[in-house]
Amino acid sequence: MAGSNEVNLNESKRVVPLNTWVLISNFKLAYNLQRRPDGTFNRDLSEFLDRKVSANINPVDGVFSFDHVDGATGLLNRVYQPSSQNEAQWGIVDLEKPLSTTEIVPVIVFFHGGSFTHSSANSAIYDTFCRRLVSICKAVVVSVNYRRSPEHGYPCAYDDGWAALKWVKSRTWLQSGKDSKVYVYLAGDSSGGNIAHHVAVRAAEADVEVLGNILLHPMFGGQMRTESEKRLDGKYFVTLQDRDWYWRAYLPEGEDRDHPACNPFGPRGRSLEGLKFPKSLVVVAGLDLIQDWQLAYVTGLDKSGQKVKLLFLEKATIGFYFLPNNDHFYCLMEEIKNFVNSNC
Amino acid sequence: MVLHDSAMSTGSNSGSSSSSSSKPRLPPQQQDIDGLLPGAGYKVRSSELRKVAQQLERLETATVNSLADSSQLSSDATHSYYNPSDITSWVDSLLSEFAQPPTCPSEFIMDPVTNKTAIKNAWTSNEHHMPQVHQNISYEQQSLNHQLTVVTAMEEDSGIMLVHMLMTCAECVQRGDLSLATSLIDDMQGLLTRVNTVCGIGKVAGHFIDALSRRIFQGIGGVFINGGSGYENEILYHHFYEACPYLKFAHFTANQAILEALDGHDCVHVVDFNLMHGLQWPALIQALALRPGGPPVLRLTGIGPPSPDGRDSLREIGFRLAELARSVNVHFAFRGVAASRLEDFKPWMLQVNPKEAVAVNSIMQLHRLLGSDSTGNSTIETFLSWIRSLNPKIMTVVEQEANHNQPGFLDRFTEALHYYSTMFDSLEACTVQTEKALAEIYIQREITNVVSCEGSARVERHEPLAKWRARLSGAGLRPLHLGSSAFKQASMLLTLFSAEGYSVEENEGCLTLGWHSHPLIAASAWHALPDAAGDVPGV
Repeated sequence: MAGSNEVNLNESKRVVPLNTWVLISNFKLAYNLQRRPDGTFNRDLSEFLDRKVSANINPVDGVFSFDHVDGATGLLNRVYQPSSQNEAQWGIVDLEKPLSTTEIVPVIVFFHGGSFTHSSANSAIYDTFCRRLVSICKAVVVSVNYRRSPEHGYPCAYDDGWAALKWVKSRTWLQSGKDSKVYVYLAGDSSGGNIAHHVAVRAAEADVEVLGNILLHPMFGGQMRTESEKRLDGKYFVTLQDRDWYWRAYLPEGEDRDHPACNPFGPRGRSLEGLKFPKSLVVVAGLDLIQDWQLAYVTGLDKSGQKVKLLFLEKATIGFYFLPNNDHFYCLMEEIKNFVNSNC
Repeated sequence: MVLHDSAMSTGSNSGSSSSSSSKPRLPPQQQDIDGLLPGAGYKVRSSELRKVAQQLERLETATVNSLADSSQLSSDATHSYYNPSDITSWVDSLLSEFAQPPTCPSEFIMDPVTNKTAIKNAWTSNEHHMPQVHQNISYEQQSLNHQLTVVTAMEEDSGIMLVHMLMTCAECVQRGDLSLATSLIDDMQGLLTRVNTVCGIGKVAGHFIDALSRRIFQGIGGVFINGGSGYENEILYHHFYEACPYLKFAHFTANQAILEALDGHDCVHVVDFNLMHGLQWPALIQALALRPGGPPVLRLTGIGPPSPDGRDSLREIGFRLAELARSVNVHFAFRGVAASRLEDFKPWMLQVNPKEAVAVNSIMQLHRLLGSDSTGNSTIETFLSWIRSLNPKIMTVVEQEANHNQPGFLDRFTEALHYYSTMFDSLEACTVQTEKALAEIYIQREITNVVSCEGSARVERHEPLAKWRARLSGAGLRPLHLGSSAFKQASMLLTLFSAEGYSVEENEGCLTLGWHSHPLIAASAWHALPDAAGDVPGV
């Protein structure tokens, strides 16, 4: 158990507002209770403790949402859209018309975080986050309720992400602009960021156009222990021990963290050179213990000749974007807005 | 080509954002609620955030320590732990549904909640012995105002004098010299105005003076103080539960013992002698749900007083517990039994199935049976013998650790003065004023009963652990040691919930919780050795 028994609470309290500290600590403790040392997971307790919200076809603060379940696979996507200017249209979803015939409306396919194990598309924290994304970026967001580990490990999350992407691309009511096509971006935080990367690779290989990737402190790792992992272990809500647990739960039995799902540019990784991969916005929190892996990812993209912008937020911890009570949040939103509206 | 964009800013509170999705609109009375956490699914008052943060910290420390320990103890396969951190969320969710705390202490009479439908098997008992219900509200309001008078100068001499006078007055009462006692009451009331009655000796003295007055002026026959409305009692009990750790300790310790005793049994039946809000049971239900090997089929029989105002609170609580059990996949059945006196409850009402493992849970109830009935027979002996006939796998007994059942009034009075002073001292640690005030009224009712009642009206007949040991052994029950895991978890509980000053001690296999090593409440566990002849249970 090494140094992880020491609870360094004061440091994290100094860098985040109190309500953020309470929120993230609460999650941390709840998650501790749900993970069992033998690698199994208390899904019932997890579902019970997770605060969920239903979709709402009526606009709240200019955003409405509805759920779609794929008949064949049972995959659920929650769609968030800006409400119509015309109040008479409120409460009605028109699946015949495109989003716009003149303007381009970006559609962000979002993969929630939770280290492949926790949360759902209808978790309150993610529902709220997606709504904010819609408001600020004037985009449509489709949040994917992918299957989670340990019940469904690699590659289920990627398969579900790929299925969701294909579904989104084929919806006429998500088309916009003069060219009548779906302008898709992939986004995700933590494990969702990891999923966004791998779905983008699949899309590039299948020649399906994705305009950009937004990776919010994406979950990557590797077998060796990096300097940031050693330095920040246990200090800001996250421990190496829990990271290892989640990788063991997601990766196939017997695999180690150099598996390409976890370490895409590692010893078993591959170069993306020559692939028509989307431009990437990678956001790294300076107090996230796995930042060295995220920075290695950025380097890997760059070395593959792919376009990548790094947003490094020095004093941010994981989950800084759940509450709009800090500068990092607003900085992030501004970046994302510019990223999806640059029309390049 | 990598573009760097480092934003080096600290996490400061930002003002209103340019987007429309900032703070949700709040109704005026909820303005104290943190504006951002509801979006994450959590409602917390901004003023409470610091306290919540502290409790999260303590939880973390406690769980980290317990996880470290449990890996060492994992070889001890019979001990299944349930995590004390589970209690907070379960208790909070249950309490928040029932609790309607009044805005100020004098307004604790609430309208009854309308009866909710719950088709559960609730057997009710028609009692011919109706308690005399005295609405002593105005009296209590009066004494409340009395307490809230803050006198800035604390006269230590006056405090000592007060105690002296109290003892003298009690002695007069014992001797029957009521006129002297009366004048002493007057003098003491006067002295109270010169003493700080908000805390310390002044506060508890005030209650004892009131109790003595009541005894002198209203007489001892038939004044049944605890006959306040059922709803009122529930509110006071709930605040006592929140304000100090005694009840939590009782529940926690009993649950751990019950969990261990029922290990390996697939059909279990728990009997609770005083259900109240059923606060004890969510934690046990959850612990059973998490039991390695899966949960047993659980039956709970909850006993409580009949609700006078047309509500059926037993059924409501049973219903909620059933919902809870369902959410964690525990097969659960509830039966409520309404009885105004515990001794009216008969074993055959339980309908114990021979295959069931029975756990009997008595939190501060047995002492009520110590007054003998009209025929002079010992109620307690009869009652204990039928408990014994149930062949319980475990009987958890929690009682006040005090000697408030002595025949001599002065002895009883003295003992009570010491006991309740200590308890009031411990209550000073409670920071939530409403909770503290109502918890004090709860305790005050006990004091009043001990001091001013006699005969069948005096139900608070507390006896110390040594006496209960003798009684329970005499009834054919054998003690079960509350193990070191219970001790450790009780200590953990204290760290989580309470201020410095509380102490858990072990006393020959029993646990006591006290204030500064003065034990105030004792928990023990017992079981029936299976008879060679094979008693038929429940008859």
